[in-house]
Amino acid sequence: MGPRADAGGRAPHRSAGLLRWYPATWRERYGDELDALMADSLGGRPPSPRFRLSIAWAGLRERAHGSGLVGDGSPPAERVRGGSLLVLCAWTAFVVGGVGFSKTSEHFVGTVPASGRPLSTGSFDAVQVLASVGAVLVVLGAVLVLPAFVRFLGAGGWPAIRRRVLWAGAATVVTVAAVIPLGVIAHRLNSAQRNGADWHYSVGFAVVALASVATLALWTAAAVAAVQRMELRTGLVVAESALATALAAVMVLITGSTALWWGSMAFSAPWFLQGTSTGTPGSPFELNIVVAMALMLGATLAAGFGVVRMSRSWSRLLSG
Amino acid sequence: MPRTGPRTGEAGLRRPNDPPVLILTSLASGPKHGHALSKDIEDFAGVILGPGALYGAITRLEERGLIEPLESSDRRRPYRITTAGAAALAGAVADMRRLAEEGATRLTLSGGAI
Repeated sequence: MGPRADAGGRAPHRSAGLLRWYPATWRERYGDELDALMADSLGGRPPSPRFRLSIAWAGLRERAHGSGLVGDGSPPAERVRGGSLLVLCAWTAFVVGGVGFSKTSEHFVGTVPASGRPLSTGSFDAVQVLASVGAVLVVLGAVLVLPAFVRFLGAGGWPAIRRRVLWAGAATVVTVAAVIPLGVIAHRLNSAQRNGADWHYSVGFAVVALASVATLALWTAAAVAAVQRMELRTGLVVAESALATALAAVMVLITGSTALWWGSMAFSAPWFLQGTSTGTPGSPFELNIVVAMALMLGATLAAGFGVVRMSRSWSRLLSG
Repeated sequence: MPRTGPRTGEAGLRRPNDPPVLILTSLASGPKHGHALSKDIEDFAGVILGPGALYGAITRLEERGLIEPLESSDRRRPYRITTAGAAALAGAVADMRRLAEEGATRLTLSGGAI
């Protein structure tokens, strides 16, 4: 026993908060042991940033293990389910990037002369159609899993997801409560005021945007928590993974179409990207579209990882 | 070349400095809790395993049935190697020995000194 433990073997808790990086089920089994080991390792010193980072990384890896995203210890059905959920999470991040793209491309049809946008119009239309297809795939996935969700609730599953659902619900209320006055104010402002000239509106818009992202993320987390705990038949797991694969393909196509739109606008109308006067030369690397593209690309790569993870377990899942 | 024990890869043991190999090696001399394992591994292998890496490996080894926890009234729960764990370690050691012997043989044939 370490010299700094108390009589009951309970070590100081300077690092206890780090355990939150680990999933709850893991903490129930190993949390006390790891806490004691951290206390022994630190010897009363506060945890260094490197120490914190290593625990955070290990905790996230454990979460990934628990979700069937890494390692080969979990059953094929868990790995396929984990891959599907990763695609869903990636889609959430992708939607945030898509909203950024939507904001950048707002009114471009009415602003850029038709002769300068044949390619960008086609790619923009493709993004809109593909985004609708993606939304339909997500809704279809939710509808398919609905009976299992009802059974999950009937079997007493509500307490396991209650906290997440309540957080998501509260975030939704806050977002809606913020959106309504912002919408009223927006109607009283002109285009220039809505696009940065009125800093009060800009701050309000940023708050609403952050609240919307948080709401989306919290509902996704609630959905993931519920699906991870549900009993799903093999056929349903396979169907969900097929939808997830299709969704990942849609993300690839949207990312490609968005890049095409950006490239064509950079070539024919960079001034639109910068929001300057028609014909003014400028850089196509406007912050909003750069961040949106980075988010979409990162989300697409994550979805691709999820599909690869699923594909490696499909044959074992279907055969056994 | 014939194998004398369980395949190293099947037990999830890959390299000599992999945390699972180090933990099984440490537990081969008797049960230990996390801190004792960490100190022992640092002593015999010169490898410092952080708490996160150590417990990640302990989790995987317990899942595979290669180690098992012992009863403890303390939070510092000791672990011991199981029969399957000993067999897996024996396989890993045999693989490493074969590799070492192969390297030594080739160095001798090429005129090198070891």
